[in-house]
Amino acid sequence: MEKDTLIMSFESSCDETSVAIIKNGNEILSNIIATQIKSHQRFGGVVPEVASRHHVEEVTKCINLAMDEAKVTYDDIDAVAVTYGPGLVGSLLIGIMAAKTVAFAHNLPLIKVNHLAGHIYSANFVTKLQYPFMALLVSGGHTELVSVTAPGVFHTLGDTRDDAVGEAYDKIGRVLGINYPAGKKVDQMAAVGSDTFDFPRAMVQEDNLDFSFSGLKSAFINTVHHADQVHEELNKDDLAASFQGAVLDILTNKTFKALKKHPVNQLIVAGGVSANQGLRKRLAAEIAKRNLDIELVFPPLRLCGDNAAMIGAMAQIQYEKGDFADLSLNADPSLDFDME
Amino acid sequence: MKILAFDTSNKPLSVAVVDDGKVLAHTESTEMKTHSISILPDIKEALEKSNLTVDDIDLIAVAKGPGSYTGVRIAVTVAKTLADTLAKKLVGVSSLKLLAANGDQTHILVPLMDARNDNAFAGVYQTVDGKLENIIEDQHTSMEKLFEKLAQYDENSLEFINATPRLQELIQNQFPNAQVITTENSLPDAAKLAQLAQTTKPVEDIDSFVPTYLRLTQAEHDWYAKGHKDDGNVSYVEEV
Ligand SMILES: [Zn+2]
Repeated sequence: MEKDTLIMSFESSCDETSVAIIKNGNEILSNIIATQIKSHQRFGGVVPEVASRHHVEEVTKCINLAMDEAKVTYDDIDAVAVTYGPGLVGSLLIGIMAAKTVAFAHNLPLIKVNHLAGHIYSANFVTKLQYPFMALLVSGGHTELVSVTAPGVFHTLGDTRDDAVGEAYDKIGRVLGINYPAGKKVDQMAAVGSDTFDFPRAMVQEDNLDFSFSGLKSAFINTVHHADQVHEELNKDDLAASFQGAVLDILTNKTFKALKKHPVNQLIVAGGVSANQGLRKRLAAEIAKRNLDIELVFPPLRLCGDNAAMIGAMAQIQYEKGDFADLSLNADPSLDFDME
Repeated sequence: MKILAFDTSNKPLSVAVVDDGKVLAHTESTEMKTHSISILPDIKEALEKSNLTVDDIDLIAVAKGPGSYTGVRIAVTVAKTLADTLAKKLVGVSSLKLLAANGDQTHILVPLMDARNDNAFAGVYQTVDGKLENIIEDQHTSMEKLFEKLAQYDENSLEFINATPRLQELIQNQFPNAQVITTENSLPDAAKLAQLAQTTKPVEDIDSFVPTYLRLTQAEHDWYAKGHKDDGNVSYVEEV
């Protein structure tokens, strides 16, 4: 029997401090997540300096909890992995400094992981991945269609030209009086309301695989402001359903365009917005309607948001390839697949 | 006792390994190198020069701020993680006290860090029985208010440390007879940090050890200014 690989992984790119111990890239021994949502709710969004300060408060607690819960010692650990981008530079640096320190202190190899790759590999905890597969990555920072042709080999097929989809949810949520992060609440309201406002579906006629949400966001905000001026009361559930209806049309349209061009057996949906129930139902219904033989994979809810387990899953591939970093590793806040 | 000491509070990066008062290795860089890139390679190099491994170290000493927010976070994160993961003792020393260690120990020492718009991080220190003591606590202050607090001392006994050209100008207008040591002549020295650490109580709870920023973030400042109260029962960060 081959020896198991245990990787200690760190994630701190935004407002979650997370440390995980992952076995062979697909088994979670521990995945500690400290979230700062309550702190940033005070300000209506993530404040980078506040986030960086919280990461310093949490980091060693998360390390110790992860070790305790996994019931391992440093002798059991084979490598240390960390998100080095994209993300907020001050936040990224805390995870990077802690990971480098642990690697140095225990003489372990260091692995630098792309946060976006981590999100995609959260699917590794759900199913056996079959290459090539397609990934729809939807979060507060990203909206991308990615073709994964072999372990750790990514090709971005489409990207957002303006707002990320999760960002659009937060912005229209603010107009509806919903506190950050707004995605879950808007999803719940949308389930009750009807799509009556007919907001624009940007770029669905175009042949490319890129996304745009700023036109939709503006149309939404203008509609609400206009109603305010003429003292007209709009149904908020219908507003939410109309917004989400447009979002799902855009995401679905581009995803199936991509699948037509690049046929695969698996569609992975990852990132914070993959928790959206409307999106989950819609994609499943579209696959059934089109009679496609595609396995639709969503990470469990706990692995949709930022977490270190997904970083450990991606790191396993790099570990097997011998793709190691050294102690001079720095943050790369605007890292993307195409820059690698 | 073997001490590993480092400081990244400001532009210089200083690392030292000191064994019972003897400096085994000492690296200092004044170039604009990125601390996040250099700090661990520099620590590794200092240990190699000392013929020690990190396991041989008894105590980690770090300058805990005030200073550049990102800078102090880098050193503090490395220090607390290292101390925690290897179960070593950890000592945090004020970054201003470390600057005061560069002064003439017969003077009233006023270490400074320029915080722009004629503000500074500053503290007042004096050597009592051979030990550097804090006599006015470290704070973020306007230079004008600092001068009011310093009026009680004989200006001939004052020595300002780490003054930028602008702060030097303000000081010389107010106290023409005071000593002023400029920034380029008062580089923080990790060997002195190790020395100060020997007489400082180790951190009791490493998990909750954080930098001394001496300033709220702008967002928090504005939030409190709107009349919000910090609810002691609510934790802003929670494990999920
Ligand atoms: Zn993310």
